[in-house]
Amino acid sequence: MTRAVAGALVALALTAGLALRTARLTERPMHHDEANQAVKFAALLERGEYRYDARDHHGPTLYYLTLPSAWLRGQHTLALLDEATLRGVPVVFGAATILLLPLLSAGIGRTAVVTAALLMALSPAMVFYSRMYIQEALFACFALAFVIGVGRVATGGGFAWAAMTGVAAGLAMATKETAAIVVPSAVAAAAIAWWSVGAGRPPNALIGRHLRRATLVGLAAAAGVVALFYSSFFSAPAALLELFRAAGTYLDRGIDPSSHIQPWHYYLQLLTYSASGGLRWSEGLVLALAVVGTIAAWQRSDGSSSGSSFWPRYLAGDVVIAGGIFSAIPYKTPWNLLPFYAGAFALAGVGFATLVSKERSRLVRVLVAGALAAGSVHLGWQAWRAAITYAADPRNPYVYAQTVPDAVRMAARIRHLSALHPDGARMQVSVIAPPSEQWPLPWYLRGMPNVGYWTAPGDVLALQAPVIVSSLEHAPALEQALGDRYVSEYFGLRPELLLAVYIDRGLWDRFLATARPGSEDPGATRELDARPTRRLSAVRGAPVFRPGRTAAERVP
Amino acid sequence: MTKRFFASLALIFLTLAALTAQAPAGKEELKLKLPKPMFIGTPTNLKSANLEAITGKSRGPFYVPAGTVLLSAKKKVTSSDTQPVIGELDMITDGEKSGGDGYFVELGPGPQWVQIDLGASRALSAILAWHYHSQARIYRDVMVLVSDDPAFKTGVTTVFNNDHDNSSKMTVGKDKEYIEVAEGKLIDPKGAKGRYVRLSSNGNTTNDLNHYVEVEVYGLPK
Repeated sequence: MTRAVAGALVALALTAGLALRTARLTERPMHHDEANQAVKFAALLERGEYRYDARDHHGPTLYYLTLPSAWLRGQHTLALLDEATLRGVPVVFGAATILLLPLLSAGIGRTAVVTAALLMALSPAMVFYSRMYIQEALFACFALAFVIGVGRVATGGGFAWAAMTGVAAGLAMATKETAAIVVPSAVAAAAIAWWSVGAGRPPNALIGRHLRRATLVGLAAAAGVVALFYSSFFSAPAALLELFRAAGTYLDRGIDPSSHIQPWHYYLQLLTYSASGGLRWSEGLVLALAVVGTIAAWQRSDGSSSGSSFWPRYLAGDVVIAGGIFSAIPYKTPWNLLPFYAGAFALAGVGFATLVSKERSRLVRVLVAGALAAGSVHLGWQAWRAAITYAADPRNPYVYAQTVPDAVRMAARIRHLSALHPDGARMQVSVIAPPSEQWPLPWYLRGMPNVGYWTAPGDVLALQAPVIVSSLEHAPALEQALGDRYVSEYFGLRPELLLAVYIDRGLWDRFLATARPGSEDPGATRELDARPTRRLSAVRGAPVFRPGRTAAERVP
Repeated sequence: MTKRFFASLALIFLTLAALTAQAPAGKEELKLKLPKPMFIGTPTNLKSANLEAITGKSRGPFYVPAGTVLLSAKKKVTSSDTQPVIGELDMITDGEKSGGDGYFVELGPGPQWVQIDLGASRALSAILAWHYHSQARIYRDVMVLVSDDPAFKTGVTTVFNNDHDNSSKMTVGKDKEYIEVAEGKLIDPKGAKGRYVRLSSNGNTTNDLNHYVEVEVYGLPK
């Protein structure tokens, strides 16, 4: 395959990948983690405030790298932010991850690179999490950049690659604490692959007296990036110490989690095959080709000086080691598979290239290529279903604790009601629910400055609001306290989790009047006040209204 | 001691009352074959003017005119969604009520209806509907209409409507919303007569899609 053909095919894969990553990007309801990240980002956007929290939220890169997106779209407050601005950031890094693959051309060949790019572009897992405003797409990008960088350094990449590898490591560490797994895994895999190829090792000018300097360059670059981000660009140097405290937090959560406990084969099963409610999913094509690539890697004994044995063994080792560690940790969420799964695409590319190159019959080669094309179309179809058709459906295996569309309707109902209230968008809304049942309301009610959050009923101030949102746990107490003065409705927040909404009867009657045939719908015709407001400010005499949040309630 | 005596007496009385309960004159208990429950944990402490109370217990007997039979078995079903996302429309009247995979039909998002053609106009005694009972959900804007007009433009009787916020812009529904359970939703059509039964919904609290496991329409054969 010529360089031009390979380039064109990668561009085609990138186009398909971008189409899947951007189509109807704003439709899926905001996951509570996305909402939480958005509110944290808004503090940086509005006031320049960012402090690393060792108990929650992961690293700072997501927030700082969202700033250009918000500036480009002219959004300077939380009230003005929208889903496209936020989710555009992981989309860019999801696409960048595909663009990293051509850097492997010298190591695994163009056929493998094109295959890897195609599969990664169409993978439901990669597509789904590249559309989600969480750290994962960025982390997978930086992790793969580090893996490639380590391999390039090992195969004679020079000081520039050492520096680039350090920067990638630093970015990975500044994105997510699980870089502590990804980075050593790559180094260990490189060492094993290097040792295993024996005489077939490629020549490397760094080996010997330059190795120490190259290592120092990489470490310095990594340390510089980590210091830059964690210290909020040196405005809070003490925050660097928080990193060490975070190590304890995440170690405890990983080994002895109170929730999100899954068996060791969780990731493997999720990718191999899952079925629920009449829907079936599989990324088995990628896994099968990766297995072929792994077997081929360890069967090669050509001893060539091109490094052709090193790279497949290194990639296989990295996927197995990192994937093994992630699988061994009891705490699992589906998006945690991204950093090691990204490497599996390169390995799958090796697998396909091996199948094609070993077969002499042109007809069989065409058939194998046709099978890959058909499998890719199937992957793309699944990616569409995962990201669009069933983007918030619990039968979708990539969906995890996802906000349901009914919650968006609830927020729309509250905004509609506020449009009928004399106070308009400044109408008081009380949310009485545990913190885990408050999110993502702060995102959806971000244009309303007088939304108050309580974790238990009892405060008279909370009960004076014309609209009260309550967890079912508190519903009986509220029914008793509010009596006939309020009308109640129920809305889904997450699968099998409902919230009750209590509406002042007078306000409800005005709402019903607008719902009559031929009546004007104020929610549709009157835009809410979306001018910059002070977020979650207080009503008269009330405590500052802030949504609750504790580390245990967020899904990292 | 006295309290215990009266409590025992009340218990005996209630037990005897249940054992000796008889159908009203000219009526008989509707015998239903119900599927196994698919989930547990539905909140039972919910009391709301707009949500049916969840008792966690079975519904109890429902009496229908003597001679009532199942009219809808294997009858033709049409829908606003002619190409369901999952399943086939005839699954709605095939008698399979299991909540598991492969037993429900999934219609597209937003307002959708299904319509059963009973073949002839009949006086209806009971309508039993299962939308999707493997998960605690509330289906939105559930309406059940009966008519002799297949287009439902004339002679329409509304036997159930819980569109409490009038989002369908027809009329405010006075019936309560309810959480889907294995014993299905039993609707009393109060003898409404018609050849066609149309059930509509508008998504649910988990997603925007509409589902039907089974619909049973009971009535007098002539």
